Amino acid sequence: MFTLSEECMTEQEIIEKTNKVFEESFEIEKDKLVPTAHIFTDLGLDSLDIVDLVVALQNSFGVKIRNEERVRDIRTLQDIYQFIFTIKKEEIDKKS
Amino acid sequence: MTDRLKYYLLNLYFYPLFLFFSAFVIPVLTIVITILGILVLPERQTWRRFRRAINWYGKIVMAIPFPFIRVQYEHSEKNDQDGPFIIVCNHRSAADAFLMGVLPYELVQIVNVWPFRLPVLGQYAKFAGYLNIRMMQYDQFITKASRLLEEGVSIVFFPEGTRSTDQTMRNFHSAAFRLAYAAKASIVPLCISGSDIIMPKGSALLRSGMVKIRQLPPIAWNDYKDLTVFAFKNRVWKIMDRELAMMENRA
Repeated sequence: MFTLSEECMTEQEIIEKTNKVFEESFEIEKDKLVPTAHIFTDLGLDSLDIVDLVVALQNSFGVKIRNEERVRDIRTLQDIYQFIFTIKKEEIDKKS
Repeated sequence: MTDRLKYYLLNLYFYPLFLFFSAFVIPVLTIVITILGILVLPERQTWRRFRRAINWYGKIVMAIPFPFIRVQYEHSEKNDQDGPFIIVCNHRSAADAFLMGVLPYELVQIVNVWPFRLPVLGQYAKFAGYLNIRMMQYDQFITKASRLLEEGVSIVFFPEGTRSTDQTMRNFHSAAFRLAYAAKASIVPLCISGSDIIMPKGSALLRSGMVKIRQLPPIAWNDYKDLTVFAFKNRVWKIMDRELAMMENRA
């Protein structure tokens, strides 16, 4: 579990926004979107779909992740939540 | 006739005929096409003949084990468009590649690495322009495949990527659907039922049975252009899953 300071997104907001990306851009049913869901085997994405996912996440969260090597390590939805959290946190740290 | 006796008889009769037919047809085909290509036909027409000949080869190979194995091909009237199409099939057996011979189109198949390694047949597949997406860059693949579609060649994909081991289709890879978007081509779902019975994954021996191939109506660019690639591939998966369930009385 993770939390960010009050001025930025809460864990729940990150989860909801990420899930919304999967529901709207990928038409994946809400009940499949559990943190342990494997994005390849459970949600059915392939390596080419990851490019679309990255673009959708970038647009949704307003962050730059296109060239992030850490994207390669993502396997589950929980990994994505954690990844977005880290990216957002790094952004805040940079600003401050 | 007992099932076991039928099984031995079928394989004893199929494989010698298959090998004899292949050993005869493949060299003759090579010679005829080469001569036609050099002396008579323009290059494009030579390719068309060559690919059609491969279709006929597949059709005859699947006819050899008749009446032990019967192949039934069904398609709706809506399929009377000329194509070319991107044809997406479920995949349960090594026999599926041969079954594509029933299709009335000039076509190439997108194949895995191992079919290219088969003696003679692998060379023919390469020569006929069959593509392996894992052996090339994605952009290069889209360019080559789009060019084939422009030339009027239909492209067959097995989007599960590998043979499924039961009647449940695996998740689809998206390359076929990305190509459809890039080339604005129509997608034709093709459902194959029974190929896993006649030649299950992991076995080279045939068993008797009926294979049903059902070609569903094409899904044109206008029907899918507003969907995301992922949503589109999942819709096609659902259409095929539903159709297969009906074909196999699982619905």
